[in-house]
Amino acid sequence: MTTSTHHGLWSILWGAVVAERHGTVLALLIAGSLLVGAGILWMLMSVPTRYRKPVVMAVTFLGGLILALEFLAGSEKWHPLTDFLPTYGNVQMVIGSFALLLGIINLFMIHGQAVSKRTKGWANSLAFFVAFFAIMMAGFVKDYATAKAVSGSADSIFTVFFEGFLMPLSSTMFSMIAFYIASAAYRAFRIRSTESALMMITASILMLGLVPAGLYLTAWLPEPLSWLRLENLSAWLLVGPNMAVQRAMAFGIAVGALAVGLRIWLSLERGSFFDRQL
Amino acid sequence: MGTTPYANPAVYIVEGLLVFFILYKIISARRGRELFIRRITGLSSLDEAVGRATEMGKPMLFVPGIGGLTVVGLQAMAILQHVVQRAAKFLTRVIVPNIDPIMFTISEEISKEAYNAEGVPEQFDPEDIRYLSSDQFALAAGVVGIMHREKTATVLYFGEFFAEALILAENGQMVGAIQIAGTPSITQVPFFLAACDYTIIGDEYYAASAYLSREPTLLGSLVGQDYGKLLMMGLIVIGAIAVTLVSVAPWLPGLGWLNANFLRYFLR
Repeated sequence: MTTSTHHGLWSILWGAVVAERHGTVLALLIAGSLLVGAGILWMLMSVPTRYRKPVVMAVTFLGGLILALEFLAGSEKWHPLTDFLPTYGNVQMVIGSFALLLGIINLFMIHGQAVSKRTKGWANSLAFFVAFFAIMMAGFVKDYATAKAVSGSADSIFTVFFEGFLMPLSSTMFSMIAFYIASAAYRAFRIRSTESALMMITASILMLGLVPAGLYLTAWLPEPLSWLRLENLSAWLLVGPNMAVQRAMAFGIAVGALAVGLRIWLSLERGSFFDRQL
Repeated sequence: MGTTPYANPAVYIVEGLLVFFILYKIISARRGRELFIRRITGLSSLDEAVGRATEMGKPMLFVPGIGGLTVVGLQAMAILQHVVQRAAKFLTRVIVPNIDPIMFTISEEISKEAYNAEGVPEQFDPEDIRYLSSDQFALAAGVVGIMHREKTATVLYFGEFFAEALILAENGQMVGAIQIAGTPSITQVPFFLAACDYTIIGDEYYAASAYLSREPTLLGSLVGQDYGKLLMMGLIVIGAIAVTLVSVAPWLPGLGWLNANFLRYFLR
């Protein structure tokens, strides 16, 4: 059999797996996948740890191998695994969705107990339930209206919740950073050691170099000494010492991430899935 | 053309050498070779932080960042395991707020096992491991709320952080908690330095699990990392010399050929 025939057969099989489906077929596939997933999970949980470990190790290795091969063995001319990446991402999303359900159960348990026991601040927990169900219903109504091509109030209800409540609340939290920066800067710039004195001097040069008043302070320096003007010193500090330190940190972080990734991929990391060093 | 870039010869050579150093040192460490690891103040003070929470009878807060299930997040989980185990020894609560549902399930499992390992499984309270929200600032608001309500004595930040870093660290200061931060997010390091008692920066973050556990595999990997950094430093020095020579002495024999091939095979 020729390579092109192999490729054609692979494409047909892969196309049949990832083809878009609707209606009853889609519902049956989802139900079937849920049953198979639950079955695999039940089997994994019921076998002793010593048998579970090799399965977890094999899945971890295979998952990592796909991504490693995609990057290392692929090229712009030959990249079969790159086409597989969206499916890989979908698998991750499905697993994440199961975990999201567990997260929501946790939220319901904590806030449900606060409401039922009337603990301090239970009204906030009640507000959580009201907000949760309100935006969920608004989302469902919006999706239904979109599917039926009906526009109007469904969209506006969701917009009120999302753009009228959630976004301003997020923006409020974000804007508080301005005040926190001032208090953090006050603490950081108190001169208690050589290091903090250096930090204070450097920060002062940088800040003055970025404002017109700072530029005015050293504008009188003659051309041969122009490198001492605050805007030039400030630029040098940013692209010189600051960039060197940032890049040094980035190199160290990259090597560290590679080491941790390697340990996880080869199951050498001692973690919750392994109760002893492998 | 694919959706991702692919490896070039430089990646094969540099990454191959890095992987070799790390695996070689892991193997030699597991064969019993003694390895030295320098003192990291932030990590050494973890015991002090746990002790303070125990003495005050207040809970600890461990924030695993907002990065989700990545290498950074998994390293945070490895550190969480050590922290919970030490806290469990003194029956001190550790509250873990999460932004990612997958990280929430992992941190719950890790905490449960840490209490089991210390022989006090009954002390594990599932309500201490919380999923707050998948929204960055909703999480920040939730964590700040926990700090003020629970009056946490110790706050630990380990993971990937963004704009919420300063909001969290400043509120930790307000409640008077001892704060230790460790993050590979370079842009957030200055904020943690300003607001926390101890900050673990750069690759020290990835050294944390080795430093705390002193396990041969992790220590070996850490020494392998150092060899990798030496390799990087060597490449930087060679590159700097080569670029300088091309600019000041382009007539040197072989330099043009070397430069052309380096650009062709390594930087394409």
